[in-house]
Amino acid sequence: MGDDEKGKQAMQTTRRDLLKGVGAMAVGGGLLGMPAVLRAQARTGVPAAPVKIGILAIQSGVGAPVGAAGLRGAEWWTARVNAAGGILGRQVELVVEEESSPKETVERFRKLALQTKVEVISGGISTAVGLALGPVAEELAMLWLSWDATTQKGVEETMPTPQWSFRSVDNEAEAIGGAILTAKHFPEMKTIAGLNNDYSYGRDCWDAFQAALKHFLPDVKPVLDLWPKLGVTDFTAHIAAIQQAKPDLLMTSFWSADTTIFLKQAAAVGLFNTMKGCFTTGGGVHDSLKKSFTPEGLILGYNSMYFHDAQASPLLKAFVRDYRAKYNEYPPYECDHAYFTLEAYKAAVEKAYQAANEWPTQAQVAKALEGMEVESLSGTRSYREDHIMMCNFFQGITTHKNDFDFVTIDPVEVLPTTRITKPPGSKLYDWIRSWT
Amino acid sequence: MLTHAINILLSGIFHAAILFLVAAGLQLVFGVQRIFNLACGSFYALGAYTGVSAVNAFIRLGLPHELFLLALIGAGVCLALIGPLIEWLLRFVYERDEALQLLFTFALVLMFEDIIRLIWGPSPLSTGSLYLIYGQVTALGVTVPVYNLIVIAAGLVIALLMGAMLARTRFGRIIRATAENREMSAAMGVNLRAVYVKVFTLGTMLGTLGGALVIPATATMSEMGIELIVEAFAVVVIGGLGSMRGALVGALVVGILRAVAISTYPELEMVLMYLIVIGVLVLRPQGLFGEPAV
Repeated sequence: MGDDEKGKQAMQTTRRDLLKGVGAMAVGGGLLGMPAVLRAQARTGVPAAPVKIGILAIQSGVGAPVGAAGLRGAEWWTARVNAAGGILGRQVELVVEEESSPKETVERFRKLALQTKVEVISGGISTAVGLALGPVAEELAMLWLSWDATTQKGVEETMPTPQWSFRSVDNEAEAIGGAILTAKHFPEMKTIAGLNNDYSYGRDCWDAFQAALKHFLPDVKPVLDLWPKLGVTDFTAHIAAIQQAKPDLLMTSFWSADTTIFLKQAAAVGLFNTMKGCFTTGGGVHDSLKKSFTPEGLILGYNSMYFHDAQASPLLKAFVRDYRAKYNEYPPYECDHAYFTLEAYKAAVEKAYQAANEWPTQAQVAKALEGMEVESLSGTRSYREDHIMMCNFFQGITTHKNDFDFVTIDPVEVLPTTRITKPPGSKLYDWIRSWT
Repeated sequence: MLTHAINILLSGIFHAAILFLVAAGLQLVFGVQRIFNLACGSFYALGAYTGVSAVNAFIRLGLPHELFLLALIGAGVCLALIGPLIEWLLRFVYERDEALQLLFTFALVLMFEDIIRLIWGPSPLSTGSLYLIYGQVTALGVTVPVYNLIVIAAGLVIALLMGAMLARTRFGRIIRATAENREMSAAMGVNLRAVYVKVFTLGTMLGTLGGALVIPATATMSEMGIELIVEAFAVVVIGGLGSMRGALVGALVVGILRAVAISTYPELEMVLMYLIVIGVLVLRPQGLFGEPAV
């Protein structure tokens, strides 16, 4: 607003001085202010006020690191977009609410939609929350771009043909990817055990892993399945049970702080000296998997973004560099879920604007999002016509050969979602059975 | 088969050692002040978080990693200083209805949860790989981390010390007298106010020590206080309210049963523990070592 006054003052002198003043402000003013206001005024039908984007991020409990990562990805995107002038000239303003229990998160979702009146809500990690938010988004006709939070079964029941909800990748993708890698790297496995959190994500992953693995290694037998609640911090009894069952391979879909705790307690008794491991989603907390207690030779999944990718784009390299400088950590995959939803939103708004010649409605943006493909941190990502995220998944074998104090993966397998998620309209287990 | 049984036993006893510390604090306070202090869970959580900070500071100061246990124990013991403060707050509910006491202490639990989040943030914290620094011991086909054995030993030592204190020292006699008959003890010249503060502080210290000692093996978690209260409740019901021996036996029962359930019928883990609680309440409501209601 200070720049506005300066502009008026300049006009009061002479027209030539106005042009000089504008030039000086554009150079001296910096990121926000005059250039953006000018650009906004230059676009017809676009309000000057900032566009409010709602963010739902886990802020406490076992999923806190993952929620924080997503939020940081969103904030980095926002800073860059705002520096470049915003969306169609409108500055982006993030309104952050906490994702906690399904009931509370639904209330905050409603608040963002009805009270704060955001244009889109990006967020949602926990499956239980996702199941609750979907129907609410449809009911309120509120554009919702989920980061994670949607697995096969529940979503089929609560969101059969979503109009306003854009779902994350079918979460069994990483379990299926883990099975593919298990069959490839450990084909001699005869018995497997599962250690998964006792809720839909854990259950679905264990089922999908077994179904997919059976396709490649039909004689594999499950000898044990354990179901610790999300948030359990003492796995000594579980480890004793696993040692007793003596599986050739232990599969786990742990994705948060319990991954690190489990590995620490497993290392204390040398669990992985006697069996292989497949950590389908452990990459969520990758830089806490220190070499001192994370052995080499485990399958480790990084979901949809691997920070150390040899094929990393300049965008990813810049992000990793800034993230490390600001937080002294290396970014996990949730950052890219958040980044992609926002980048796709921006591209959809711009596309819908071309057709509508004014700031698009949520319905128009929703239409534009279908099939939208953008350049995200991990590479190209898109939304399929049926509102499901498509991207690449990165999994590999843990190695200590790096300059960090935590493990990385080598070789890195890139698994596109076309390979590890079911095609539109099909059912998961039918699709797996139909593989050749 | 034997190795598996020993594994289960050891993992159960490790968990029991921590539970005992917290339950012992609970029992002490209940025995003397007749207050069921739900905030014991918060002391446990505070001990854990402060333990992490203490250890990380210890390491940053360049002190030898092997001695990190001293930082932990120090943190647990020093935190007892909040005991008198909380005890002073609890004075408002001493003679009041039990429901009010429970509500009050539960309110404390919720407040502490937010205070912890304010100070330490929402993310889980840990002491990294220091847990593994003492190595492992392998015997009879069983591998157990030395740290776990240290914690079990610490629990045992504290149990013995508590027993000795209660049975042989003057302070212990005063505690037992006050627990048995408050009015008579006051009539005999016991300074009830002073006893309450000392007992509460001791109870607090046991809780914070429990939290500090367990943390290298795991990581701090926002709900850790509340989760522990659930288990401590079961321990105290099984063992009998107010009984130190009850705390020990109850902790062993809960700890070992949990380990057994996980190895045999994992789905029944929680169910089994509470089936025992219900069984005890029906068959012997005062618990294994509690006094029958008059």
